Amino acid sequence: MFELRTWKEKLGFSALLVLIAFFLFFPVYWALISAFKDNGELYSLQPTLFPAHPYLGHFVTAIMEGNILLQLGNSLITSSSSALLNAILAALAGYSFAKFDYPVKKPLMLLILSAQMFPFGVLLISIYPMLQAVGLLDTRLGLTVSYIVFALPVSTYMMYSYFKQVPNELIEAARVDGASNFRIFRRIVMPISLPAFITVTLYAFMWSWNDLLYSMTLVTSEENRTIGPGLLLRYINENNADWGGAMAASFLAAAPVVLVFAILQKQFIGGVTSGAVK
Amino acid sequence: MVSDNKAKTDSTRGLPSGSNPGQSSGRKRGSLKRTDRLFAYVILVPAMIAFGVMVAYPFIDAMSMAFYQYTIYDVEPTFIGFDNFVTILTDPYVLGSWVTTAIFVVGTTLLTMILGLCWALLMYQDFRGRGVLRTMTLLPWILPSTVSAFIWAWMLNGKYGIVNVMLLSMGIISDPVQFLSNDVGAMMAVILTRSWISIPLFMSFFLAGLQGMDFQQIEAARIVGASNFTIVRRLILPHLKPVFLVTGALGMIGNLQQFDIIYALTGGGPVRATSVLSIEVFRQAFENWDLGMASAIGVLWVFTLMPIVVYYLRSLFKED
Repeated sequence: MFELRTWKEKLGFSALLVLIAFFLFFPVYWALISAFKDNGELYSLQPTLFPAHPYLGHFVTAIMEGNILLQLGNSLITSSSSALLNAILAALAGYSFAKFDYPVKKPLMLLILSAQMFPFGVLLISIYPMLQAVGLLDTRLGLTVSYIVFALPVSTYMMYSYFKQVPNELIEAARVDGASNFRIFRRIVMPISLPAFITVTLYAFMWSWNDLLYSMTLVTSEENRTIGPGLLLRYINENNADWGGAMAASFLAAAPVVLVFAILQKQFIGGVTSGAVK
Repeated sequence: MVSDNKAKTDSTRGLPSGSNPGQSSGRKRGSLKRTDRLFAYVILVPAMIAFGVMVAYPFIDAMSMAFYQYTIYDVEPTFIGFDNFVTILTDPYVLGSWVTTAIFVVGTTLLTMILGLCWALLMYQDFRGRGVLRTMTLLPWILPSTVSAFIWAWMLNGKYGIVNVMLLSMGIISDPVQFLSNDVGAMMAVILTRSWISIPLFMSFFLAGLQGMDFQQIEAARIVGASNFTIVRRLILPHLKPVFLVTGALGMIGNLQQFDIIYALTGGGPVRATSVLSIEVFRQAFENWDLGMASAIGVLWVFTLMPIVVYYLRSLFKED
């Protein structure tokens, strides 16, 4: 797009590129190599850009002491079931909005989308006693259900946008053949909408996996604790800051999300931006 | 019955689905049977239940709680009218949360948009390694909030933090700065960290907007002798204006609700220096256990958010 003719233009472009790239990527690199430094090298006033003697001790203590594997498991169970539940609800509602006409459609759609207006923190004030009343406070099921709030509005809109592009002729043809609405949805619409469904699932998964507010408040016992608050409670400790351990544990907490996105990122980002930018 | 449906078709032309040429033929709408409509309602029910139980009810409940005195010492909530609101509006500390929130939201949204736009322009240019960089850019965005907070807390550490080491060696400072334990430093830290996280998303929005650029226009400008800078200012920025408005609104909505990063990085401190509305509500509700007060702040918080959300939803539906 730009034509970089003079050396000045080339230098300006490269300088800006390097500067922002440094800001974006250096923190991740720094955290990563910090996890592999022993304490002597870590707490030094002449920091090294690469660990002199790569050291795995922080990973060993992060895993062996404390409940990080249990917390990762809890996060995996709650985040993936909530993401799947969210995607199913969003797909059903999105299909209803995209392919049918009924009087209250627009108000209902606006209502679901307006959920972004209600801060999660405010909803939590009532969700907490509500879960307590039905005995779901401090349970993984309660957390799973509560996570739905995060992604449902945007997920519904994303599914709606995708379904709108499914040709009506396809649906009509199946209808002429005598297929029921549910059969059309399950056998024809869903298979071709799988990319959108996966995107929405991932989007919701990321929200829940990365959440701190709900996970920290709605779960209080060590056995149900998820990874976000687990890390925070273990490593934010004024008397005994263990930065090597914190970086190693962070690596373990981030690995699952990073891995999934590394595989599916291209499709994912297209899906997320389609909602906001035409 | 048929004519009734027909009338509805015409009156719903303006609806989102009406703009789809394949649907406005009228044939499908005319043949939309009662069973189809029933199906449409039935598949909507699960999402509506989830919305009702997890969003609508808690919201209405919190709204009404704002008019009650309900702390951990109260057995039953007592109705006190607008007393909670009076307390808020006369308490300089609580009112200060709005100022703190404004600084955080404006600072973060501006920084994110400027850097996100620059990065999108750089990533729009064709050069070797661009694909890898674009993919890697997502990284800060997908990290768990606790992890991002840890990374920056370690970078900004008052003794061994690499930021201090760099600033010292460049001679910009003569003594290490305790970023997280002074007011300005803590605010800068949360703005920086939150921006770092959101730049990837904003880059994606801007890149999506740039895909619609008219290349011939740029070529024509270049023939007339326009510089790169002129092209950005005169052609690209005007083209991106709608994207600016929507992402700006989205960014502000997100930042106005931000809790995780601030809590993990500073806990709202030192003292109250980074105590934005989300932190204030959390503290009132789950540290002081004053649910009435927390709800009242929440009500005012929602009113703060409302104009931006309304603007965003209108722009979302306008183009449909």
